[in-house]
Amino acid sequence: MSLAQVLFYIMSFISLASALFVASTKNLVRSIFMFFITLFALAGLYVLALADFVAITQIVIYVGGILVLILFAFMLSGKETLNAITQQRKAFISLRKIPAILLAALFLIVLVNMIFKVDANNLAWIRRSIEARNDITPSSAMTENIGVSLMTNYLLPFEAISILLMIALVGAAHLSRKGARP
Amino acid sequence: MNFYLTYFFIAIGLFGFSALFALFGVYAERKVSAFIQDRLGPTETGKYGSLQTFADILKMLQKELIIPAAADKLLFMMAPAIIFIAVYLGFAALPWGPGLVPSKLNLGLYYVFAIISIETLGILMAGWGSNNKYSILGAMRSAAQIISYEIPAGFALISVVMIAQTLNLQDIAAQQGVLSPGKTMFSGFWDVSSIGGILAWNIFRAPHLLIAFVIYFIASLAESNRAPFDIPEAESELVAGFHTEYTGLRFALVFLAEYSMMFLVSMIGVILFLGAWNTPLPNIGPAHLAAWTTGAGWGILWIMIKTLTLIGIQMWIRWTLPRLRVDKLMALCWKVLTPLAFLCMLISGIWRLWLM
Repeated sequence: MSLAQVLFYIMSFISLASALFVASTKNLVRSIFMFFITLFALAGLYVLALADFVAITQIVIYVGGILVLILFAFMLSGKETLNAITQQRKAFISLRKIPAILLAALFLIVLVNMIFKVDANNLAWIRRSIEARNDITPSSAMTENIGVSLMTNYLLPFEAISILLMIALVGAAHLSRKGARP
Repeated sequence: MNFYLTYFFIAIGLFGFSALFALFGVYAERKVSAFIQDRLGPTETGKYGSLQTFADILKMLQKELIIPAAADKLLFMMAPAIIFIAVYLGFAALPWGPGLVPSKLNLGLYYVFAIISIETLGILMAGWGSNNKYSILGAMRSAAQIISYEIPAGFALISVVMIAQTLNLQDIAAQQGVLSPGKTMFSGFWDVSSIGGILAWNIFRAPHLLIAFVIYFIASLAESNRAPFDIPEAESELVAGFHTEYTGLRFALVFLAEYSMMFLVSMIGVILFLGAWNTPLPNIGPAHLAAWTTGAGWGILWIMIKTLTLIGIQMWIRWTLPRLRVDKLMALCWKVLTPLAFLCMLISGIWRLWLM
């Protein structure tokens, strides 16, 4: 086994184990900190897939932004609210959980189906890209590539996202405004 | 295999350096503060009190590690390590001289920026884990402040990157001196690629980068929780903020992280704006001062001098200015620095399109 493979298995084990802990623990704050480990292991997997820009963006946005905001919400809400969540009913299968179980099972079926149907070692589009020399190497710079793609092929989705973010910003500014509201 | 050994040596070397710097930094800070406040500072231990910080660290190593009874033990114990590691990892991508860089990353600057943001998480962890209202207030203030000030700092950095056209810190460094692979213009009209020196530094490449540097410097003070932005550990209000409950070695780690952070943000400022490892002496006619004083050894010397100067200014500001109030702090960030940083970015774009 090469070093890259060993690293891949270590990081996927860490991400899976920590994700399981996040989903199963009753201590909500610890589960958030564990989620940080999951995101970090995922970033490592992205680096192994030569997507270093995606990996760093994941850390900036999820760890530096979203996780910190979730923790903020936690610290602003009192201990009583948190304790109420901790004292949930223990039964593994109950009527309330049926939609969730159904959704998870369906998703599992789709995933398993995908894994068995796809022949991952020689996908047609990957073979075509390699033949056309349209692939990336560990030393190639990705930022220019991403920038050009965002400004040409994917300009419309990019602009749509920017409008969405703008709407969210305006909404936040409106909600936090002082004085009489209409 | 030698390959991996080098990595370990460099990592241990960087750790040793940050520890040594923290020892020196604490001593320098005490002496500087004493000078500014007309006191003497440490004088008893060693000549001029120079052994004071060694005595302090010895004392800290011997102290008992107290964990509060109501604390979340795991989070409490892990927090100082995460705070320090986040800062320490940032050093991996910083160049020290021509050809001297621990890791030659294409995305160097972006990586450093991402890794620094993890420190916030460690601070929140310390605040929550201590189970103490002062700690939690300090942690929340710290997180709010760091998240807010990352925005002007980020845009100030982006306005440099737009001029330099690369995120690789070593390339950005090389562009600011006689080793530049392309053309370096002084204020966009005078080609100084062969003259080098102070004229080729990024702050003089375009006039608005000087403003960007000031914005970055102010934001970097806030990111390393230094006065006048030290509300997370405001002694008069919060005892000691997020590290109220820490003792002994853990407290030492928090302090080590603070001083390493000072060095890290100053070094990023030097690399991006003040010519990195390039000499300040230009080539004047037959005297090739820039060519004579450029090299690996000289590089380390110049970058250390520049970084220590910036740290000196940080200390000077800390002991001169009073602490800002929370709302004033946020107003400064969102109403002054952020719009100015946006303006700098806009000017960078126009500069790039029409003047380069």
